[in-house]
Amino acid sequence: MFPTLKTGAVMQYPAKRTMQFNTDVIRFLDGTEQRFREYPAVLHRWTIQLDLLDEAELTTLDQFFLTNQGRFGTFAFTDPWDGTVYPNCSLQGDAFGFQLRGEMRGKTTLTVLENRT
Amino acid sequence: MIYFPQLSSGATGQFPIRRQRVARTVVNQSCQNYEVKLADPGAAMTAWHLSFEEMSDQELAALEALFQATEGSLTPFTFLDPADNLLAWSQQQNQAVWQADPLLALTSALADPLGGTGAYQVTNPTAATLMLQQSINAPASLEYCLSLFVCSNQCTQVWLVRGSENDARAIGPEWTRQISSGQLQSTADSISFGIALDPGSTVDIFGLQVEAQTAASLYKETAETGGVYPNARFRDDALTITTVGPSRHSCELDIVNVEYL
Repeated sequence: MFPTLKTGAVMQYPAKRTMQFNTDVIRFLDGTEQRFREYPAVLHRWTIQLDLLDEAELTTLDQFFLTNQGRFGTFAFTDPWDGTVYPNCSLQGDAFGFQLRGEMRGKTTLTVLENRT
Repeated sequence: MIYFPQLSSGATGQFPIRRQRVARTVVNQSCQNYEVKLADPGAAMTAWHLSFEEMSDQELAALEALFQATEGSLTPFTFLDPADNLLAWSQQQNQAVWQADPLLALTSALADPLGGTGAYQVTNPTAATLMLQQSINAPASLEYCLSLFVCSNQCTQVWLVRGSENDARAIGPEWTRQISSGQLQSTADSISFGIALDPGSTVDIFGLQVEAQTAASLYKETAETGGVYPNARFRDDALTITTVGPSRHSCELDIVNVEYL
Protein backbone atom coordinates (compact mmCIF):
# COMPACT_ATOMS: atom_id res chain seq x y z
CA MET A 1 0.00 0.00 0.00
CA PHE A 2 1.04 3.56 -0.65
CA PRO A 3 2.13 5.14 2.66
CA THR A 4 -0.07 7.66 4.43
CA LEU A 5 1.00 10.75 6.33
CA LYS A 6 0.79 10.90 10.11
CA THR A 7 -2.62 12.51 9.75
CA GLY A 8 -3.80 9.43 7.85
CA ALA A 9 -4.09 11.41 4.61
CA VAL A 10 -2.43 10.42 1.35
CA MET A 11 -2.44 13.78 -0.40
CA GLN A 12 -2.42 17.47 0.41
CA TYR A 13 -3.98 20.37 -1.49
CA PRO A 14 -3.44 21.17 -4.32
CA ALA A 15 -4.17 17.61 -5.37
CA LYS A 16 -4.26 16.55 -9.01
CA ARG A 17 -5.96 13.54 -10.55
CA THR A 18 -5.79 12.75 -14.26
CA MET A 19 -7.82 10.31 -16.32
CA GLN A 20 -6.10 9.22 -19.48
CA PHE A 21 -7.54 7.73 -22.68
CA ASN A 22 -5.67 7.22 -25.89
CA THR A 23 -7.53 7.63 -29.16
CA ASP A 24 -6.05 6.97 -32.58
CA VAL A 25 -7.50 9.28 -35.23
CA ILE A 26 -7.25 8.73 -38.99
CA ARG A 27 -8.31 11.74 -41.04
CA PHE A 28 -9.26 11.42 -44.69
CA LEU A 29 -9.00 13.90 -47.56
CA ASP A 30 -12.71 14.69 -47.46
CA GLY A 31 -12.45 15.71 -43.83
CA THR A 32 -14.07 12.65 -42.37
CA GLU A 33 -12.24 10.64 -39.78
CA GLN A 34 -12.22 7.30 -38.05
CA ARG A 35 -11.36 6.95 -34.42
CA PHE A 36 -10.00 3.90 -32.66
CA ARG A 37 -9.78 3.20 -28.99
CA GLU A 38 -6.14 2.38 -28.13
CA TYR A 39 -6.66 1.80 -24.43
CA PRO A 40 -9.17 -0.83 -23.38
CA ALA A 41 -10.09 1.35 -20.37
CA VAL A 42 -9.21 4.63 -18.73
CA LEU A 43 -5.99 4.94 -16.77
CA HIS A 44 -5.65 7.15 -13.70
CA ARG A 45 -2.74 9.23 -12.53
CA TRP A 46 -2.36 11.12 -9.24
CA THR A 47 0.16 13.88 -8.65
CA ILE A 48 0.90 14.03 -4.93
CA GLN A 49 2.45 17.29 -3.77
CA LEU A 50 3.45 17.21 -0.12
CA ASP A 51 4.76 20.03 2.04
CA LEU A 52 5.63 20.56 5.71
CA LEU A 53 6.46 16.89 6.18
CA ASP A 54 8.57 15.79 9.10
CA GLU A 55 11.68 13.66 8.66
CA ALA A 56 9.89 10.44 9.56
CA GLU A 57 7.24 10.99 6.88
CA LEU A 58 9.93 11.76 4.31
CA THR A 59 11.84 8.64 5.32
CA THR A 60 8.71 6.52 4.93
CA LEU A 61 8.25 7.81 1.37
CA ASP A 62 11.97 7.35 0.68
CA GLN A 63 11.84 3.74 1.87
CA PHE A 64 8.73 3.19 -0.22
CA PHE A 65 10.63 4.42 -3.30
CA LEU A 66 13.59 2.16 -2.50
CA THR A 67 11.36 -0.83 -1.89
CA ASN A 68 9.65 -0.30 -5.23
CA GLN A 69 12.96 0.34 -7.02
CA GLY A 70 11.50 3.41 -8.66
CA ARG A 71 8.80 2.68 -11.22
CA PHE A 72 9.54 -1.06 -11.23
CA GLY A 73 7.40 -2.12 -8.29
CA THR A 74 3.63 -2.25 -8.05
CA PHE A 75 1.34 -1.45 -5.16
CA ALA A 76 -2.28 -0.73 -4.32
CA PHE A 77 -3.37 2.90 -4.22
CA THR A 78 -6.59 4.20 -2.69
CA ASP A 79 -8.03 7.15 -4.58
CA PRO A 80 -8.62 9.78 -1.87
CA TRP A 81 -11.48 11.30 -3.88
CA ASP A 82 -13.78 8.30 -3.80
CA GLY A 83 -12.00 5.57 -1.82
CA THR A 84 -11.63 3.27 -4.80
CA VAL A 85 -8.68 0.93 -4.43
CA TYR A 86 -6.56 0.54 -7.57
CA PRO A 87 -4.60 -2.65 -6.94
CA ASN A 88 -2.01 -2.30 -9.70
CA CYS A 89 -0.20 1.04 -9.58
CA SER A 90 3.40 2.20 -9.89
CA LEU A 91 5.40 5.31 -9.35
CA GLN A 92 5.69 7.25 -12.56
CA GLY A 93 9.39 7.98 -12.47
CA ASP A 94 12.71 6.51 -11.49
CA ALA A 95 13.64 9.54 -9.37
CA PHE A 96 12.49 10.64 -5.93
CA GLY A 97 13.80 13.80 -4.37
CA PHE A 98 12.95 15.97 -1.41
CA GLN A 99 13.99 19.27 0.02
CA LEU A 100 14.42 19.74 3.75
CA ARG A 101 14.19 23.47 4.52
CA GLY A 102 14.32 22.99 8.27
CA GLU A 103 13.12 20.66 10.97
CA MET A 104 9.72 19.23 10.01
CA ARG A 105 9.74 21.29 6.82
CA GLY A 106 10.20 18.71 4.09
CA LYS A 107 8.76 19.02 0.62
CA THR A 108 8.41 16.47 -2.15
CA THR A 109 6.28 15.41 -5.10
CA LEU A 110 5.34 11.92 -6.27
CA THR A 111 3.25 10.77 -9.18
CA VAL A 112 1.34 7.48 -9.05
CA LEU A 113 0.22 5.76 -12.24
CA GLU A 114 -2.39 3.07 -12.64
CA ASN A 115 -0.97 0.17 -14.65
CA ARG A 116 -2.83 -1.71 -17.31
CA THR A 117 -3.91 -5.02 -15.82
CA MET B 1 39.78 6.96 5.32
CA ILE B 2 38.74 10.07 3.43
CA TYR B 3 35.48 11.43 4.75
CA PHE B 4 33.28 14.49 4.51
CA PRO B 5 34.04 16.80 7.45
CA GLN B 6 31.63 18.01 10.08
CA LEU B 7 31.09 21.69 10.78
CA SER B 8 32.23 23.06 14.13
CA SER B 9 28.63 22.62 15.31
CA GLY B 10 29.00 18.88 14.74
CA ALA B 11 26.57 18.92 11.82
CA THR B 12 27.31 17.54 8.37
CA GLY B 13 24.94 19.84 6.55
CA GLN B 14 22.87 22.99 6.86
CA PHE B 15 19.28 23.59 5.83
CA PRO B 16 18.09 23.52 3.13
CA ILE B 17 19.22 20.02 2.14
CA ARG B 18 18.07 18.37 -1.05
CA ARG B 19 18.40 14.64 -1.67
CA GLN B 20 17.39 12.68 -4.72
CA ARG B 21 17.24 8.95 -5.32
CA VAL B 22 17.43 7.74 -8.90
CA ALA B 23 16.64 4.19 -9.96
CA ARG B 24 16.79 2.66 -13.44
CA THR B 25 13.99 0.62 -14.90
CA VAL B 26 13.97 -0.81 -18.41
CA VAL B 27 10.43 -0.61 -19.78
CA ASN B 28 8.93 -2.27 -22.82
CA GLN B 29 5.59 -0.56 -23.48
CA SER B 30 2.86 -1.60 -25.90
CA CYS B 31 0.57 0.88 -27.63
CA GLN B 32 -2.24 -0.22 -25.30
CA ASN B 33 -0.03 0.71 -22.36
CA TYR B 34 0.75 -2.81 -21.25
CA GLU B 35 4.26 -2.77 -19.81
CA VAL B 36 7.03 -5.24 -19.15
CA LYS B 37 9.52 -3.85 -16.64
CA LEU B 38 12.99 -4.90 -15.61
CA ALA B 39 14.72 -3.34 -12.62
CA ASP B 40 18.42 -2.45 -12.76
CA PRO B 41 19.35 -1.97 -9.09
CA GLY B 42 23.05 -1.67 -9.89
CA ALA B 43 22.45 1.63 -11.64
CA ALA B 44 20.87 3.32 -8.61
CA MET B 45 22.20 6.71 -7.58
CA THR B 46 21.74 9.00 -4.61
CA ALA B 47 22.55 12.70 -4.89
CA TRP B 48 22.64 15.56 -2.38
CA HIS B 49 22.71 19.29 -2.90
CA LEU B 50 24.24 20.99 0.11
CA SER B 51 24.37 24.70 0.86
CA PHE B 52 26.74 26.11 3.45
CA GLU B 53 26.52 29.64 4.84
CA GLU B 54 28.71 31.51 7.32
CA MET B 55 31.46 28.91 7.36
CA SER B 56 34.52 29.76 9.41
CA ASP B 57 38.08 29.61 8.10
CA GLN B 58 38.60 26.25 9.80
CA GLU B 59 35.42 24.78 8.37
CA LEU B 60 36.31 26.00 4.89
CA ALA B 61 39.83 24.64 5.22
CA ALA B 62 38.49 21.19 6.06
CA LEU B 63 36.17 21.25 3.07
CA GLU B 64 38.90 22.46 0.73
CA ALA B 65 41.29 19.82 2.08
CA LEU B 66 38.74 17.13 1.24
CA PHE B 67 38.20 18.56 -2.24
CA GLN B 68 41.95 18.56 -2.86
CA ALA B 69 42.41 15.08 -1.42
CA THR B 70 39.70 13.67 -3.68
CA GLU B 71 40.88 15.75 -6.66
CA GLY B 72 37.36 16.84 -7.34
CA SER B 73 35.19 14.03 -8.63
CA LEU B 74 38.07 11.60 -9.13
CA THR B 75 38.28 9.82 -5.77
CA PRO B 76 35.45 8.55 -3.56
CA PHE B 77 35.02 9.44 0.08
CA THR B 78 32.73 8.45 2.94
CA PHE B 79 29.66 10.63 3.30
CA LEU B 80 27.28 10.46 6.24
CA ASP B 81 23.82 11.51 5.13
CA PRO B 82 22.72 14.45 7.31
CA ALA B 83 19.08 13.57 6.65
CA ASP B 84 19.15 9.90 7.53
CA ASN B 85 19.67 7.33 10.24
CA LEU B 86 23.17 5.84 9.90
CA LEU B 87 22.09 2.43 11.20
CA ALA B 88 20.73 -0.22 8.83
CA TRP B 89 17.65 -2.28 9.73
CA SER B 90 16.80 0.09 12.56
CA GLN B 91 13.65 -1.86 13.42
CA GLN B 92 14.88 -5.37 12.76
CA GLN B 93 17.44 -6.29 15.37
CA ASN B 94 17.34 -9.91 14.17
CA GLN B 95 19.13 -8.98 10.93
CA ALA B 96 22.76 -9.98 10.44
CA VAL B 97 24.04 -6.40 10.70
CA TRP B 98 23.17 -6.48 14.40
CA GLN B 99 25.69 -8.31 16.54
CA ALA B 100 24.08 -9.77 19.63
CA ASP B 101 26.24 -11.43 22.23
CA PRO B 102 25.58 -15.16 22.65
CA LEU B 103 22.66 -15.97 24.96
CA LEU B 104 21.12 -12.50 24.55
CA ALA B 105 17.44 -13.22 23.87
CA LEU B 106 15.43 -11.10 21.42
CA THR B 107 11.64 -11.08 21.09
CA SER B 108 10.13 -9.13 18.20
CA ALA B 109 6.81 -7.56 17.19
CA LEU B 110 6.00 -5.83 20.46
CA ALA B 111 3.99 -2.62 20.73
CA ASP B 112 6.18 0.43 20.12
CA PRO B 113 5.77 4.05 21.26
CA LEU B 114 4.75 5.23 17.78
CA GLY B 115 1.69 3.01 17.68
CA GLY B 116 3.16 0.14 15.68
CA THR B 117 4.57 -3.23 16.57
CA GLY B 118 8.24 -2.65 15.83
CA ALA B 119 9.65 -2.91 19.33
CA TYR B 120 11.94 -5.67 20.56
CA GLN B 121 12.34 -7.13 24.00
CA VAL B 122 15.94 -7.86 24.90
CA THR B 123 16.74 -10.16 27.79
CA ASN B 124 20.07 -10.92 29.37
CA PRO B 125 19.66 -14.23 31.28
CA THR B 126 23.36 -14.54 32.09
CA ALA B 127 25.54 -13.29 34.93
CA ALA B 128 27.61 -11.09 32.62
CA THR B 129 26.88 -7.83 30.79
CA LEU B 130 25.76 -8.53 27.22
CA MET B 131 25.59 -6.21 24.24
CA LEU B 132 23.52 -5.69 21.11
CA GLN B 133 25.30 -3.46 18.65
CA GLN B 134 25.87 -2.55 15.04
CA SER B 135 29.13 -1.40 13.51
CA ILE B 136 29.20 1.26 10.80
CA ASN B 137 32.10 2.01 8.48
CA ALA B 138 32.58 5.63 9.40
CA PRO B 139 35.36 7.51 11.18
CA ALA B 140 35.16 7.10 14.95
CA SER B 141 36.53 10.59 15.49
CA LEU B 142 33.35 12.38 14.42
CA GLU B 143 30.57 13.65 16.64
CA TYR B 144 27.71 11.14 16.88
CA CYS B 145 24.36 11.00 18.56
CA LEU B 146 22.82 7.64 19.47
CA SER B 147 19.15 7.64 20.40
CA LEU B 148 16.53 5.02 21.10
CA PHE B 149 13.20 4.51 22.81
CA VAL B 150 13.43 2.22 25.79
CA CYS B 151 11.34 1.02 28.73
CA SER B 152 11.40 -1.78 31.26
CA ASN B 153 9.31 -3.14 34.09
CA GLN B 154 12.17 -5.18 35.46
CA CYS B 155 15.29 -3.04 35.60
CA THR B 156 16.19 0.57 36.17
CA GLN B 157 19.02 1.23 33.79
CA VAL B 158 20.40 0.49 30.34
CA TRP B 159 23.81 1.23 28.88
CA LEU B 160 24.05 3.17 25.63
CA VAL B 161 27.13 2.03 23.73
CA ARG B 162 28.84 4.57 21.49
CA GLY B 163 32.19 3.17 20.44
CA SER B 164 34.31 2.82 23.55
CA GLU B 165 31.90 4.99 25.58
CA ASN B 166 29.17 3.37 27.68
CA ASP B 167 26.59 5.73 29.16
CA ALA B 168 24.18 4.47 31.81
CA ARG B 169 20.62 5.78 31.48
CA ALA B 170 17.86 5.40 34.06
CA ILE B 171 14.68 3.87 32.64
CA GLY B 172 11.21 3.01 33.88
CA PRO B 173 8.02 1.33 32.70
CA GLU B 174 7.11 4.24 30.38
CA TRP B 175 8.72 4.67 26.97
CA THR B 176 11.38 7.38 27.03
CA ARG B 177 13.85 8.43 24.38
CA GLN B 178 17.40 8.08 25.64
CA ILE B 179 20.28 9.90 23.98
CA SER B 180 24.04 9.60 24.12
CA SER B 181 26.17 11.96 22.08
CA GLY B 182 29.73 13.11 21.87
CA GLN B 183 33.04 12.72 20.15
CA LEU B 184 35.63 10.00 20.71
CA GLN B 185 39.39 10.35 20.66
CA SER B 186 39.84 7.57 18.18
CA THR B 187 41.22 7.24 14.68
CA ALA B 188 39.44 3.99 13.87
CA ASP B 189 37.62 3.62 10.55
CA SER B 190 34.57 2.03 12.10
CA ILE B 191 32.49 2.53 15.20
CA SER B 192 29.84 0.46 16.96
CA PHE B 193 26.57 1.61 18.48
CA GLY B 194 24.03 -0.25 20.54
CA ILE B 195 23.01 -1.15 24.05
CA ALA B 196 24.45 -3.19 26.91
CA LEU B 197 22.32 -4.95 29.50
CA ASP B 198 23.25 -5.68 33.07
CA PRO B 199 23.02 -9.33 34.19
CA GLY B 200 19.47 -10.57 34.53
CA SER B 201 17.83 -7.48 33.04
CA THR B 202 15.09 -7.18 30.41
CA VAL B 203 14.30 -4.05 28.38
CA ASP B 204 12.03 -3.14 25.50
CA ILE B 205 13.76 -1.14 22.76
CA PHE B 206 12.60 0.65 19.64
CA GLY B 207 13.90 3.11 17.08
CA LEU B 208 17.65 2.92 17.39
CA GLN B 209 19.13 5.82 15.50
CA VAL B 210 22.60 7.22 14.96
CA GLU B 211 23.26 10.60 13.41
CA ALA B 212 26.50 12.44 12.76
CA GLN B 213 25.47 15.45 14.82
CA THR B 214 25.20 16.52 18.44
CA ALA B 215 21.47 16.09 19.04
CA ALA B 216 18.82 13.62 17.96
CA SER B 217 16.25 14.44 15.32
CA LEU B 218 12.98 12.64 14.69
CA TYR B 219 13.34 8.88 14.40
CA LYS B 220 13.80 7.60 10.85
CA GLU B 221 13.27 3.93 10.05
CA THR B 222 15.83 2.32 7.75
CA ALA B 223 15.98 -0.97 5.87
CA GLU B 224 19.01 -2.70 4.35
CA THR B 225 21.02 0.48 3.94
CA GLY B 226 21.60 3.20 6.48
CA GLY B 227 22.89 6.68 5.82
CA VAL B 228 26.56 5.74 5.40
CA TYR B 229 27.80 6.13 1.83
CA PRO B 230 31.41 4.91 1.44
CA ASN B 231 31.49 5.51 -2.30
CA ALA B 232 30.39 9.15 -2.48
CA ARG B 233 32.03 11.66 -4.77
CA PHE B 234 31.85 15.32 -5.59
CA ARG B 235 29.68 15.60 -8.69
CA ASP B 236 31.78 18.44 -10.09
CA ASP B 237 35.47 19.14 -10.51
CA ALA B 238 35.08 22.75 -9.38
CA LEU B 239 34.40 24.12 -5.92
CA THR B 240 33.42 27.77 -5.77
CA ILE B 241 33.67 29.63 -2.48
CA THR B 242 32.12 33.04 -1.80
CA THR B 243 33.65 35.07 1.01
CA VAL B 244 31.68 38.03 2.35
CA GLY B 245 33.95 38.91 5.26
CA PRO B 246 36.61 37.57 7.59
CA SER B 247 35.83 33.93 8.38
CA ARG B 248 32.48 34.20 6.59
CA HIS B 249 32.42 31.81 3.67
CA SER B 250 29.64 30.15 1.76
CA CYS B 251 29.43 27.53 -0.94
CA GLU B 252 27.09 25.09 -2.61
CA LEU B 253 28.10 21.62 -3.65
CA ASP B 254 26.67 18.44 -5.09
CA ILE B 255 27.57 14.96 -3.89
CA VAL B 256 26.63 11.74 -5.66
CA ASN B 257 26.86 8.13 -4.55
CA VAL B 258 26.88 5.65 -7.40
CA GLU B 259 27.61 2.05 -6.52
CA TYR B 260 28.68 0.93 -9.99
CA LEU B 261 31.61 3.35 -10.24
